[in-house]
Amino acid sequence: MRAIRSMIDTGSADFRRHAAHNRELVARFRERQEAARHNRPQRDLDRLERQGKMRPRERIEKLLDPGTPFLELSSLAANMAYDGDAPSASSITGIGVVSGREVVIRADDPTVKGGAWYPLTTKKIVRALDIAMENRLPVVHLCDSAGGFLQLQSQVFPDKYMAGRIFRNQSLLSRQGVKQLALVFGHCTAGGAYIPGLSDYSVIVRGTGAVFLGGPPLVKAATGEEVTVEELGGADMHTSVSGTCDYPAASEDQAIHMGREIVAQWDRAPKWACQRETPEPPLYDPQEIYGIVPDDIKKQFDMREIIARIVDGSRFHEYQPAYGTTLICGYANIWGFKVGILANNGVLFNDSSLKGAHFIELCNQNNTPLVFLQNITGYMIGREYERRGITKDGAKMIMAQSCSRVPKFTVMCNGSFGAGNYGMCGRAFDSRFLFTWPNHQIGVMGGDQAANTLAEVKANQLRRDGADVDAAVLERVWEDTRAAYQEQLSAYYSTSEIWDDGIIDPLDTRNALGIAISASLNAPLGDPGYGVFRF
Amino acid sequence: MKMKLGDDLHEVKIIARRPHLVVSIDGRHHTIDDPGRECDGPGTLVLDGAAVSFARVSSGGSVLLHLDGRAIAVEVIDPLDEAEGSGHGRDEILAPMPGAVVQVHKAAGAAVTRGEAVLTIESMKLQTTLVAPRAGTLLAVLKGAGDTFEKDEVVARLAPVEGDQ
Repeated sequence: MRAIRSMIDTGSADFRRHAAHNRELVARFRERQEAARHNRPQRDLDRLERQGKMRPRERIEKLLDPGTPFLELSSLAANMAYDGDAPSASSITGIGVVSGREVVIRADDPTVKGGAWYPLTTKKIVRALDIAMENRLPVVHLCDSAGGFLQLQSQVFPDKYMAGRIFRNQSLLSRQGVKQLALVFGHCTAGGAYIPGLSDYSVIVRGTGAVFLGGPPLVKAATGEEVTVEELGGADMHTSVSGTCDYPAASEDQAIHMGREIVAQWDRAPKWACQRETPEPPLYDPQEIYGIVPDDIKKQFDMREIIARIVDGSRFHEYQPAYGTTLICGYANIWGFKVGILANNGVLFNDSSLKGAHFIELCNQNNTPLVFLQNITGYMIGREYERRGITKDGAKMIMAQSCSRVPKFTVMCNGSFGAGNYGMCGRAFDSRFLFTWPNHQIGVMGGDQAANTLAEVKANQLRRDGADVDAAVLERVWEDTRAAYQEQLSAYYSTSEIWDDGIIDPLDTRNALGIAISASLNAPLGDPGYGVFRF
Repeated sequence: MKMKLGDDLHEVKIIARRPHLVVSIDGRHHTIDDPGRECDGPGTLVLDGAAVSFARVSSGGSVLLHLDGRAIAVEVIDPLDEAEGSGHGRDEILAPMPGAVVQVHKAAGAAVTRGEAVLTIESMKLQTTLVAPRAGTLLAVLKGAGDTFEKDEVVARLAPVEGDQ
């Protein structure tokens, strides 16, 4: 395969300006991520210490194999919800290696409201278990939760994708033969009790761990019975009387040690044989990505320059290099794994859509995972393009993409607007993992366009109400509308709502994809539905 | 295929792959037995019956060969690059999509290098900079700021390279 030849002038004024802009964005992201991970009220940390408990991240560090990476997911979930009261949606999820096995780790965070589940906490847990199901990854639950956040119970409890889904997913995982281990460090109350209950193995810490459907106060209110936590659902009761939990542990350290030993007993299903080469770093310095991505979402850049800084040896076999050139398609290797890359280099036209659909089929035929690098303002509009059937051709791309059997991965490198989001494997299309860069914006249309439309509607309303709408008023309406819309377009809003699996530093894209692809190979490939149609 | 050894350009053609690898280098045929593997490190091949030892290191985009006590940089000229016509025949800058000109960076008569910005256009909320496909002189810039155009319309032209047919 030939190496991409970069056309970037790293000494140019544009390059330096973009680099400064993007480094600033990444610094702000790191700041917010550090705060979400570590800033907690002192009283919550003191309480944890009094109870002799570790912080959840210390537990994870002790659980993981030394020297292995941990891919944390959705570290800024809920960053724009609940007035910032639930950092990381009071839950930590990620992919790591325990006793030599790739696993999903899911930990409650007792330093936030006693580990209570907010609506976005349940969404994050359900997503982590979806990842486990789609990729057949065993799960280790680190349990320490007060239960559902009562004030918001209507958004935590009743609907299809709320708390019940956690237990439904646990059950289906077990049926798939995917193992689960629960380490019970604190309370598992009410629904939370089913997490160890539905895990294949569970360890419970004496003195602090407890599992019950209703805690002592609820029992007293319901039946008048007075009972202590230990009697009702402590380690010794559950491991010697009820059999709800399997192993008692004298300390958190011992529980983690036991957990590692349990995981070491598990069989390892063979991964499917994705084509692999010896990994090698990109030829071009990934740091240069900062200087390539412009400081304005409207400015176009050549996505080949990004590919050159993500893939092995910067080598790229470009498919149909002269056809449908606004969509780049081709083969490359990431950490040795062969992938098919689809990357936007402009608006999707009829020919680029057909090329994309065809290339997706080729990758399915070739058992090659797909990587989508999104920077898309949409499919081309206008009379000429409708007459040529742009909708029909976009539909082919969406069909080929949706029905793919190979694993798909999506990186939001810049804009994701309109229907282009669908064709390029947006959140609704079951990417195994979807990562977002801090500069990313997403919406049904751009901020200016939405502000124009909405400001016009609002001005008409004001006129109907008899108000005098002069240019200054219009300007203010436009600015307010745009600011409100702009906030929802941002990567932070997106990741807050868990429309992705987390914001990442663009430099980490290669590593994040490497871990994600490796994890995805645990799930067997489905059968191909069709051959390759040449559209 | 063209290959650069140090500063010298050579024309290399594969004449036969079986039963022996026969290559033509600048018109002379050579037979190679046991060409070894394409990887870094020491190696040996048999060229026209004589054993030749060498060492190979690839670094960045180029390959260094150590041979007869000398280090030689090897660069393979990619045939696809040649097919793109890096020197000839690409005189026109086409609009990749319908839209309007936002900014004109270079006027007719200006000298441009490969990849240098000529026009910035906007279409579908996206600003794209159209660059010179090769080094040369701008013969004409056919659109000004605010002008609109269709997909594949010629928006600027380079003066043809001398000797180009």
